[in-house]
Amino acid sequence: MTGEMIAFFILALTAIAGGVMMINMTNVIHMVVALVFTFLAIAGIYITLSAEFVAAVQVLIYSGAITIIMLFGIMLTRHEGMTEWKLPRLTVLLSGAGIIVFFVIMFFGINRLSLGNPATDLHVDNTKNIGIELYSKYVIPFELTSVLLLVALIGAIVIAKRDDEKEEAGK
Amino acid sequence: MVNDLLTSPPGWMHAAIFFGLGACLLMIVLGFVTYAILAERKVLGFMQLRPGPNRVGGRFGLLQTVADVLKLLIKEDTIPKAADKPLFILAPVLAFAPAFMVLAAIPFSDHLKFSDLSIGLLYYIAISGITTVGILMAGWASNNKYSLLGGMRSAAQMISYEIPLVISVVGVIMFSGSLNLTEIVEGQKTVAYMFLSPLGFIVFLISSIAELNRTPFDLPEAESELVAGYHVEYSGFRWAFFMLTEYVYLFAMAALTTVLFLGGWNPVPFLGFIPGIIWFALKFSLIVFFMIWVRGTMPRLRADQLMEFAWKVLLPVALLNIFVSAVVKELFLR
Repeated sequence: MTGEMIAFFILALTAIAGGVMMINMTNVIHMVVALVFTFLAIAGIYITLSAEFVAAVQVLIYSGAITIIMLFGIMLTRHEGMTEWKLPRLTVLLSGAGIIVFFVIMFFGINRLSLGNPATDLHVDNTKNIGIELYSKYVIPFELTSVLLLVALIGAIVIAKRDDEKEEAGK
Repeated sequence: MVNDLLTSPPGWMHAAIFFGLGACLLMIVLGFVTYAILAERKVLGFMQLRPGPNRVGGRFGLLQTVADVLKLLIKEDTIPKAADKPLFILAPVLAFAPAFMVLAAIPFSDHLKFSDLSIGLLYYIAISGITTVGILMAGWASNNKYSLLGGMRSAAQMISYEIPLVISVVGVIMFSGSLNLTEIVEGQKTVAYMFLSPLGFIVFLISSIAELNRTPFDLPEAESELVAGYHVEYSGFRWAFFMLTEYVYLFAMAALTTVLFLGGWNPVPFLGFIPGIIWFALKFSLIVFFMIWVRGTMPRLRADQLMEFAWKVLLPVALLNIFVSAVVKELFLR
């Protein structure tokens, strides 16, 4: 058992435990906190795969920004966010069967999968290579994504602005 | 020695050595925190024409903070009945752990560093964001309106100021061509980046003070409006953890500013005979003093002014800094 394996098992267990806890908890805030641990564990798995840049961005965007926006949304809308619902037995049985079928298919699929020789020099100039790829091969998708984000930003401002005007008109 | 350790294949021995080194660093940082608090009180006292702590531990109050910590240790640990208990306990841990983790990326001198991350700068920024979650959690779990308001303000402020903070560093990244903090320091052998991107330096300094929640940006704990902010309900050692977080971040942020803009362990011209670690300590102390000085000088901002300042002043200036840095690099540093 190598150190990499141990690290992978700890991280994978944390990620899965975070996910399971997120589904099973009743308090919305607790769910988000469980989700933070899943995000962090996934960032750890990226590091074991020598993808340092992706790991740092994962922590920065998901564990940092997105979690806080979710927490803000929850705290500003409902303070006592509790959910409890019971499922009908048939639904439980059907989804259970679905999960088992999915597991069997995935298990055999992964067993037969061969990815060739793993790359050994991924960690060398990781960030630089991402930048070069992004700005040489994928310039147009990259720029289009930035335009899309800009449109979303302006759209959010327009929506927020309209609410203000309505309130003023209501007064 | 550390350079050899970092490049040789890993093993249990390495884990043990790094654990020991990490424990040493923790002790040094705790020592720094103890005396930074004393220094802060002394300097503020000097600026306000009063003596500051001068009873415990001799004429200069050298043991004042030690006594304060002892008091905090033996204080009753209260958890409000209506608080969300697991989150209330987890919050100080989640706030403090990242504060110490970011120190791993910072090189203190040529030989004294704990890692050689190719994404050192990004690592610092990413990890420090987790503290915000801890603070927001503390504010919510206390089940107290003041602490909730404080936590919200803190999160909003930290997120808004993180953006100019990150963008102001882009100039430095362009000059050095690397996110590795060691390489950034090495790129400043001839001239510190402070002089190459002064705009970036000013924006970085202002937003770092805001990230640290220090006066004039200490709205999350504005005593006159919020009692004490997100840690109203905390007492004893849990409260001490939040204070510790604040001062460890002061340590980390001052070290990061030194590395990014003041040239780290590079000596001032003609004074190269003084060892690098002393230069680092000098520049670092200068930044810490500056932070205390600002605290003694500036009044607190209003909440709306705070947000407007981040989005309407700092962000455009930081974007301008990217452009100016690119022009400087193309014209003078080819």
